[in-house]
Order: sequence, then structure tokens, then C-alpha cells
Amino acid sequence: MITGTGITKTFKQRGSVLGAREVRALREVDFAIEPGGAVSFIGESGCGKTTLGRIIAGLETYDSGEIVIDGVPMSGLGHRRRQPHFRRIQLIHQDPYSALNPTRTIHQTLEAPLALRAKQTGRSRSWVDARAEELLGLVGIDPGYVLPRYPHQLSGGMRQRVVIARALTMDPEVLVADEAVSMIDVSLRLGILGLLKDLRVRLGVGVLFITHDIATARYLGDDSELYVLYRGQVVEHGPTETVITRPVHPYTQSLLSATPVLHGLEKPGAERVVPTEALDPSRTDEGCLFAPRCQFATQLCTEQRPRLSHDGTTLQEHACFHPRTRSVIPTGTGTETEMGADTLADTGADMGARG
Amino acid sequence: MSIMTNAQETTDPRSAPGGTPGVTRATLRRNFWRGVWRVLRRKPSRMVGVVIVAGFAVMGVAGPLLYPDHLPRDDDALYAPPSLRHPFGTDFEGTDVLALVITGARYVLLTGLATAVITVALGTLIGLFAGFRRGRWDTVLMRVTDVNLAIPGLPLLLVLSTVWKFESPLEMGLVLGLLGWGGIARAVRSQTLSLRERGFIEAARGLGLPTTHIIGRELLPSMAPYIAMNMLIAVTGAVYAQVGLFFLGVLPFESNNWGVMLNLAVFNGGALTTAAALPYLMAPLLAILLLTLGIVLIVDAMDEIFNPRLREE
Amino acid sequence: MTANPTAPAVRVRGLTVVYKTPVGELPAVSNVDLTLAPGTITGVVGESGSGKSTLALCLLNAVQSPGRIAAGSVEIDGLGDVVELGGEELRRARGRHVGYVFQAAQNSLNPLKTIGKQLLDLGRSHGVEDLRALVRDAKDLLARMGMDGARVLDSYQHELSGGMRQRVGIMLALVLNAKVVVLDEPTTALDMITQATILRIVREVHDERGLTTLVITHDVGAVAEVADNLAVMYGGRVVEHGPVMEVLGSPRHPYTRGLIRAIPRLSGDISLARALPGRPPTLGTLPAAGCVFRERCDRRMDVCDTVEPVPLTRDGRTVACHAVDAAADVDANAAPGVAAGAADRTPTTARRKEYA
Repeated sequence: MITGTGITKTFKQRGSVLGAREVRALREVDFAIEPGGAVSFIGESGCGKTTLGRIIAGLETYDSGEIVIDGVPMSGLGHRRRQPHFRRIQLIHQDPYSALNPTRTIHQTLEAPLALRAKQTGRSRSWVDARAEELLGLVGIDPGYVLPRYPHQLSGGMRQRVVIARALTMDPEVLVADEAVSMIDVSLRLGILGLLKDLRVRLGVGVLFITHDIATARYLGDDSELYVLYRGQVVEHGPTETVITRPVHPYTQSLLSATPVLHGLEKPGAERVVPTEALDPSRTDEGCLFAPRCQFATQLCTEQRPRLSHDGTTLQEHACFHPRTRSVIPTGTGTETEMGADTLADTGADMGARG
Repeated sequence: MSIMTNAQETTDPRSAPGGTPGVTRATLRRNFWRGVWRVLRRKPSRMVGVVIVAGFAVMGVAGPLLYPDHLPRDDDALYAPPSLRHPFGTDFEGTDVLALVITGARYVLLTGLATAVITVALGTLIGLFAGFRRGRWDTVLMRVTDVNLAIPGLPLLLVLSTVWKFESPLEMGLVLGLLGWGGIARAVRSQTLSLRERGFIEAARGLGLPTTHIIGRELLPSMAPYIAMNMLIAVTGAVYAQVGLFFLGVLPFESNNWGVMLNLAVFNGGALTTAAALPYLMAPLLAILLLTLGIVLIVDAMDEIFNPRLREE
Repeated sequence: MTANPTAPAVRVRGLTVVYKTPVGELPAVSNVDLTLAPGTITGVVGESGSGKSTLALCLLNAVQSPGRIAAGSVEIDGLGDVVELGGEELRRARGRHVGYVFQAAQNSLNPLKTIGKQLLDLGRSHGVEDLRALVRDAKDLLARMGMDGARVLDSYQHELSGGMRQRVGIMLALVLNAKVVVLDEPTTALDMITQATILRIVREVHDERGLTTLVITHDVGAVAEVADNLAVMYGGRVVEHGPVMEVLGSPRHPYTRGLIRAIPRLSGDISLARALPGRPPTLGTLPAAGCVFRERCDRRMDVCDTVEPVPLTRDGRTVACHAVDAAADVDANAAPGVAAGAADRTPTTARRKEYA
């Protein structure tokens, strides 16, 4: 179990004559990942999601707050004492092309961490090779084919599987997958997402999924949770399916509305909020952070900052003074049956009524 | 639950025939040299380069063994023109010029090699350390590098030569090496700085792999083509520097080498004004030209040799 | 269809592009026929190695060595066969007739020059006499896309966000009044909201200026939002081509079906979604004979191993698949008339309403 409370991070940018400009990457973010659980963080670039992933993987420090890994709080420990704990959380990079050393074969790539692991756990050298094959089998690739090869000889999907296998060498408790499918061919994305879901079930590995594409978060399992980050603040949090089908925060609704509609296969949601892009966001820190871009903002929103909380009417938590469910996501047109599908789950049909 | 998984990429249509899982280091090494051979064969110019450099290496190792310690003189044939017996003529004492070039190669090549090894070792080490550690270490080491780059080599050597005879080529190489590592250190540092942000280095740190592994196994191989190229170029640089010093007469010459030949040809033989000593002048120049050419032709292959993608294709 | 009379048509016929490799010349694009109707947006969707970017480069006759156009023609109204053009003529055609927006415009801008300077360079290289008017046009275009033109022209590439760079790329492609525009991966590496904005801009500018547009992408969603017609490429072939609503609503080629089923979506039953088995082909793994998709196909037949399916057009939709042909023949015999008449929807106008 890994929990974070009040994680705050501010980057200081040098350059200005008047001194450092501060960028608040994370503002008091709380989260929890159960063993074998799945948690997704979504938001635009610059919302702090990547920073959060790096903090959880121990690759970045945080200014205040507390991360507790299996009951051990990290802030009391020095750098060296922390490392073994953070090693239980492995980061999977977005880019499977730069995540593998081009000059080393897959065998060499897996051997090094496994040899270290063997030393830590008092296992023999012969275990290393056996384990390498086992892990590659687990991620769904043929060890005989992959092991002697260099990364450039593998497809993007295969590379990403190798990267996941390498992360598994440390017997991690959580995999942090930062945009893990955005550079994978479309036809293979579900394979990687399915693998992550599968690893949750088979190994009890938790998954922290970071993405800008909300739709991919659906494929991690029915029990997954979703956090929506805006400028470092969690603005909506709840079960993934609930947040997607019945979003209450206007920002979540913007993200969902911006997801392309497969015309012909889907119809756009009735209340699709035409999203506005923040070309020159006024970086005021007054009131609700989303208010300048929000078409539903009122005087109150510019004066006070809403806090993330349950209001009792919805399953999810939100940080909005005017929460309202809107049907923004597309609905299927039923043509899927022609593609060999028996039934079509009409996920968004009842949303309008609830709003 | 695993409906979507493992359905794909488990089998590959053109599945590997060979490649048993536990690939040993030996097979990797064999594959590497096979790849090197392939890269060299790709362009005839590279083979020419290899032949030239190999020829000079043989000359350096075996050359002096082919001739007696004191080369025979032919008093009747001073500054003899090229002939079958003396392909490059003879010098002022009637010694065969070709024999002088061949026996003189060792000093030149050893100096070049020693310089290259020292430059590259020091430069790489300092550059890697500064780039990997960053912070205070980086600042200090880079200031040291700046100082090194600012040392005026020629005046220093002039001063040194008043107290040091440089009898051994290794001494010469040591001095040239200590003077020349700055450039490589800077270049390696900037390479390290950019590489350490790459995903695979970060992954290695995340996995808790020791720093020695990260530097030795992950960083260095990626920089290998770069380092190898610098090393080869350092050899040519050192050859020029040292031949130049002897030619200028800055260094007292005890032994025979190409720079000494040039010096004697020009200042004693008057090769610039009379034709008689011209072959004596041309022979060492030709040797230097050939050596440089051979090295440049090989440098062209370095990128492909150390990059698995370019090597295998 | 709101075809603009001034927009040119583009006809690609029998186009084959080969790349030189150690094992000989291999086709990245193989005998492709594709017609871009005047005034429409055509989306070309394909995975890595499908040849979609190579196809796009052919519209500029800009295939780089070791590749070359081995056969075929690319006819553009008012310009002629681009494949036949060369030298100065070709250089003039690029920009003047065909505007090209590079992949996410990340690396196509010079980091050392302001946008304005690059605009002037572009103008001078095309012999534009009135540079003032050029700058004015550029500012208008930028303002049209929601940006402060003067400020953007004074900026360097690094001072702009991804979405802004993409707009600058579109501006540079359009400022010389090109009527054919090619966008290569216009939304890759952009956020969802930025992507939606860019797609809307592409659609609006397309309509306002009366363009014929080709959008190259791996993202079916992006195409679905913006295109009138959709061409699906696989292994250097166009395997399916037709109106976007119909291709997505009732895909015929097994690859199109598989691809659509593999898209992570917000609607639909996730348990029905699955990845396509196997992996996209590369130049080296493309089979020499037969159907290029058969290794991953769930409707593979014996004939697929030996005979390459020919693209056949039925009721406005082109499909290259033996299984589809066989099924269509059966349908035609059993119930004539069922296959036709499914399409009287007008995707363009339907789309416009949603943005309004």
C-alpha cells in the first residue's frame, strides 16, 4: 500500500531579473494505491502528472507532504535509506525507444538488474537466466526471439513489453506507467493496457497510470480509480467509470469533450462542452484555478478556491462550487453489432437524466 | 481477466532460428567482430585504411628488427637519387632513406599511441565524472579543464626541452597527452550530460544498479564511437605535433625519426633549394600523409562499428 | 458535399515508391490509387510502416533517397503531374500549390530565427514581391487561429507551445495561397484539448479558403473529427477508402474492423475491445505475394496467400479484400439492392453543427 498526503512541489525557474519565477507543479495532492490496485492520473501537459509519477518513483523530491510506502513514512529517511523502498515502485517510460540502451541486447538489459536482485535475495546465477525467460513470457513475448536481439530489432510494442519486464525484475509493488501507450501503434495499445491489467491480477502489482488520453484509463479494470489534475490540483477523483460517465467538474468535462468522436460509430454527447485551449493562461493563483477557462464560473469562483471533497450526491470527490453532471461523452450508435459484437453497453445513456 | 493480453506478439512470423536464451559473452563478442568485419567490407576505402594502418603497425613493431642497429652507410652515394637499391635515395651520409623511414616509424607511432591513450583516458574519465556528478565536481573539473586548454603547448615544450631530452617516445607521449586532454573532457562531459537524461540511464538508476555499472556498461558504450574517433584523431594530432617539434629542432634528437629526417633534409640538405635532397624530404612526408589518410579512412567506420543498428544492417 | 469550385482535385494513380535496402529495392507504397475530391478533407490512417508519410511526401515529389518514386503519377489540377516536375518548377510548386504542415511542427521551425524572419525567407525564396502583404496575410491567418500575429512573428520557436507551433506550421503552409494542403500527424504529441482546437481550426480554415486537404495520422479519432473521407493504409496499400461515417460505422476490410475495435474509446463495451494480433509489417517483413494483411487477419482464405486482392469499388466505397469480395458476391446474388443505398448522410454538414 502506497499513500501520499499533501504532496506539494514547486519548481523555481531561473532567468528573470526580478528573481526566480515559481511554478507550482503539485498542490497538496492526496492519493492511495492499494496492492494490485489501479489509479490513473489525467490532465494536460504541465498539469503536474509526470512530476507526480516521478516523485512516486523516487526520481524527484517533493517540498512538503508525506509518502508512506508499506507503512514506512519516507520523509524521515535519508536518501540512502529511502532507495530500497522506492525501488518497489518502478517507472515505465513513455518512450520505449529511449528507455532501452541501444548498445545492449535484451539479455544484457535484463541480466543486470536480475543479477543485482539475485545478490539481494541470495539466489544463484542460474536463476537469473531462468527468471529472464519467465518475465518475458509473463509480458507475452517469446524469450528465444527477443533475448539475443538489440532494441532496434524489435517493434515499439515489443520494446514496451521488454521495458515492463525489466521493471518487473525488481518484484515491484507498483508500476508507474507514464503515457505508456502514447507512442505505441494504435492496433497494439490495448495489448499493453491489457497486459497492465493482467499483471494486476496475476502478480498483484499495482498500476499508477499517467495519461492525457482519458479513454485509455478505462482499460485498466473495473475497479480502477481516476484522478483529474489541473495545474497541480486534483479537481475530481472517483471510480474511473463514474468519473467518465458522470463527470461533475467542468474541467473533466472539457477533457472528455475534447476526446475525438468516432463519427459513424459514435454520436457526440448532447452537452459536449466545446473546450477552450489555454493559449496564454493568466497564471493567477486566486480563486478556482480553472475559473479563467470555465464557462460556468461565477463571482464566487474567482474569489475562493474550492477544495476537493465529497458533497454526498455523487460517488466521486470534486473541487467545484457548481458541480453538475453533463452528458459530454459520445454514445454508441449501435453499429458495433455489425462488427461481430453481440451487445453494446450503452455507457452514457442515462447521464442526462441525472444532471 | 486476461482476455486482451498475450494474444499478440507472442509468436513472430519470422521467428528466430538461432539465439538460445542464455547468450554468452563469447558469442556476443564473436558477433561484434563479425559485425566489425561487415562494416569494414562495406566500403573499399575502409579496407584501404585498415591495410595502411596495419602496415604502419607492422613497421613500428618489426621495422627496427629488419635492420642492423647502425644502418649501413654508402660513402660513395651521398644524396643518391632514387634507384632500385634505394627507392627513396640516400641521405647526407649515404644511408638508405626507406630504411630510415621504416626504423623511424616506431618512435613516431609509439608517441602517437601513448598520447592518444593518455588523452582519451584522462579526457573521458574527467568528462564522465564531471557530467555524471554535476554540481560542485563539475564546476571544479571544468575549471581545471579550462586551465588545461589555456596552456600554450609550444612554449612549454621549448622550456621543458631545455631540461628534458625526451629519449623515450613514451616520455614524449606523456607530455603531449597531459597537454591535450582538455578538448575530449569537454566533449565527453556534454555527451554525458545529455545521455544521463535518457530513459535507459534513468531506468538503470531507478532499478538501483550501481554507479559503476551505469557508467561502465550503459554510458560508455553509447559514447564509444565518439571516444574511438577522438582517439584516432589524437594519434594524428600527436604525430604532427611531435614531428613538428623535431623538425623545428626544438627537441634535441638522440634517435632517428621522421621529424629528424625532415629537419636534416631542410636545414642540412637544403631540400628547399636543391633537388638532390628532395627524396629525403618527401619520404617522411609521404609516410605521415599515408598514416593520416589511413586513420581518416578508418574513422569513417567508427559510428557503424559501435552502433548495433548500423553494424547489423 | 460543400465542394468549393476553386479547389483542385488530386489524383494519385498507380503510385509505387521503393526504398533501396541491402536486400534490394522494397516497396513502401505499392500501386496506390487515391482520388482527393476537390474541396474535401481526406484522412489517411495507418500504423508505423504503412507508407502513409511516404504517400504524403509524394504530393510534393519529395521522397528522399534511398527512396524513389518508381511508378505512377500524382495529378494536381492546375499543376499537372507532380512526379514529372523537377528543379525550379518543383520548388515553386511547393508552397505555392501544395502546402505541407510537418509532423506536429516541432522540428520544422528554425530555432535560431524568429517566425517572422522565417516567413520572409519563405516569401523571398518564392519571389514574393510584396512582402508587406505577405506579413499582413500571415498576421490575418494567425489571428484567425486565435493568436496575436505580431507577437508570434516576433517569437522564436521555443517561446511557443506545441499548439501554437502547429498553428504557425499551418500558417506557413497556407500563406502563399496553396490550395492543396498536406498535414502530417497534425495532432501527435498534443494534448486532447489542444488537439480538439487544432482540428477545429483545420476544418474551419479548410472551408473558408476552399482547400483540398490531406491529413496523415495514426489516430483514427483525429481523422473522424475532421475528415470527409477516410483512406486506411496497411503495408503500403490503401486497403479501404470511403466516406468517413460509413467506413467507421460499418468497416468492411478486416484490418479496418480490427483497428477500430482496438481503439481505446469512451463509449462502448470494453470487453469487446481488443488489440489486433501480430504486429505492423516493416519493409523487410512484407510478404512478396498475396495479401499483406493475411498474417493478422481473422478471415484469411487460401487465395490470400498467393493473390494480392485488387481494390474494388462498390457504392462509393473501395475495399481490397478477397473475403469481402466473396461475401459481396453472395449478398448480391441473395438480396440485390441491400448493399447499396446505405449512404445519404452528409458528414460535412453534420459535423459543422456540432461545432456551432
